[in-house]
Amino acid sequence: MDSAQNKIVITGMGAVSPYGNGADTFYNGLSEEKPCIGRVKELDALPMIKTKLAAKVPALDYSFIPRRDRRSMSRMGLYAYTAAQEALHQAGYEKAPENLGFFMGSTLNSISVWMEITKYCHDKHLELVKTSDFLQIMNHSPLAVVAQALKINGACIGASEACATGLLNMGLAYLALKSGLVKQALCGGTEEYHPLFSACFDIMQATSHNFNDSPDKACRPFDKDRTGLIVAEGCGLMFMETEQSARERGATILAEVLGFYTNTETENMAYPSAPTLQACMEGALKNAGVKADEVDLLCAHATGTISGDMAESQAALAVFGPRIKVNSLKGHIGHTMGASGSLESIACVEMMRRGEILPTKNLQGVDARCGAVSYVTAMEKRPLRTILKNSFAIGGNNCSLLLRRPV
Amino acid sequence: MITREEIIQKTNEALSAEFELSAEKLVPTANFQTDLGLDSLDAVDMVVVLEQKFGFTLRQGYDIRSMVTLNDLYNFIEKLARENNK
Repeated sequence: MDSAQNKIVITGMGAVSPYGNGADTFYNGLSEEKPCIGRVKELDALPMIKTKLAAKVPALDYSFIPRRDRRSMSRMGLYAYTAAQEALHQAGYEKAPENLGFFMGSTLNSISVWMEITKYCHDKHLELVKTSDFLQIMNHSPLAVVAQALKINGACIGASEACATGLLNMGLAYLALKSGLVKQALCGGTEEYHPLFSACFDIMQATSHNFNDSPDKACRPFDKDRTGLIVAEGCGLMFMETEQSARERGATILAEVLGFYTNTETENMAYPSAPTLQACMEGALKNAGVKADEVDLLCAHATGTISGDMAESQAALAVFGPRIKVNSLKGHIGHTMGASGSLESIACVEMMRRGEILPTKNLQGVDARCGAVSYVTAMEKRPLRTILKNSFAIGGNNCSLLLRRPV
Repeated sequence: MITREEIIQKTNEALSAEFELSAEKLVPTANFQTDLGLDSLDAVDMVVVLEQKFGFTLRQGYDIRSMVTLNDLYNFIEKLARENNK
């Protein structure tokens, strides 16, 4: 079969999230609405920073990763190794198959490790920098160290577009599979939290700060009382392959990737416009050959910022009309930034498999300035065939990806 | 002046902490590569942790290729300690 005509499918998923290790743990945390946002002591020590909360991955034991691999991994690398192994296992592999592609990035590399190194610079003790420090702060460090550790020897490409990184790398894997560059690929994003993220978003007036004493209520996408996002961390990875590859080896197909599109906002680095987001979503529909009324759910980027939620919901209304079901998962876990697109896509696949729509947590009163779409505020049991997933980045990078439940 | 026993103890403490090696493996005849599983990147980082542990510079005259066993390292550090009157 010509590679361009081959369908692209998902046969494995792996997650590390503020709920802990595992895709099931992640989805169960979401569906049970388990609290996972907490106080950050470093932010408490900064009176000029209004936001005080984050959703961090709980302390986990990574000693199962061989030391020689682990020595070059910052936290985001540990998360990525763990998620990659889970995705491989679910896809039916004990180790990476030959010529496996790998598409993964993060917003920044490890700020914690960088801070250690800059401390050595400041103290004029650069001789204390280890090779393993440097190997943790390359832009593609998590990609490189996980590829080394798991012997992933196909095309390894680490694209980075801040909060769109996870979905962008899924899209790039989709395109690489369509082009015939590889037949199988791991893809997604990974991120580790540092208080600097919260501080930077706070300076940009984009954080949640009015629910510091009620962390579980702090992130409120589309809600009239929202003030911004809560920074989080984690990793979400998908095992994608051509349908032909999956059929030949008898793999269980979890979902089909129907299409992908990406475009760029050029009017403002930090504020997306509804027309550009509309064009992105319509581009994905056109790429997939899917009509707007075939989409059952928009799993929005919606981080809880004033302008971002308004623009995305207005764009959704323009693309789909008022009947479209819209949810955001940021109310549950905050914004896992570079991991969010792929991590939330795992939830999309599970929603289709289970026939249910997760609600937007903390959406108690829709902001009248948001588009009049059909917001999901309580768990809905219903068959889902097609979901559109959005991810948008500071810098103006937008991504939309269409997923379908296999027949 | 630091004794050879102290050098061995300090070296083993540093290597055990940095490379997660059990005390039983840290015998003088242990080969860095085949017995301890350390590679060239570890050899570079080893200098950093040993310099912190002993408080003097090791990297001048440090030839990774000449260090085959743990005993070679003990000898090298002992020679430097004598030269530095530590």
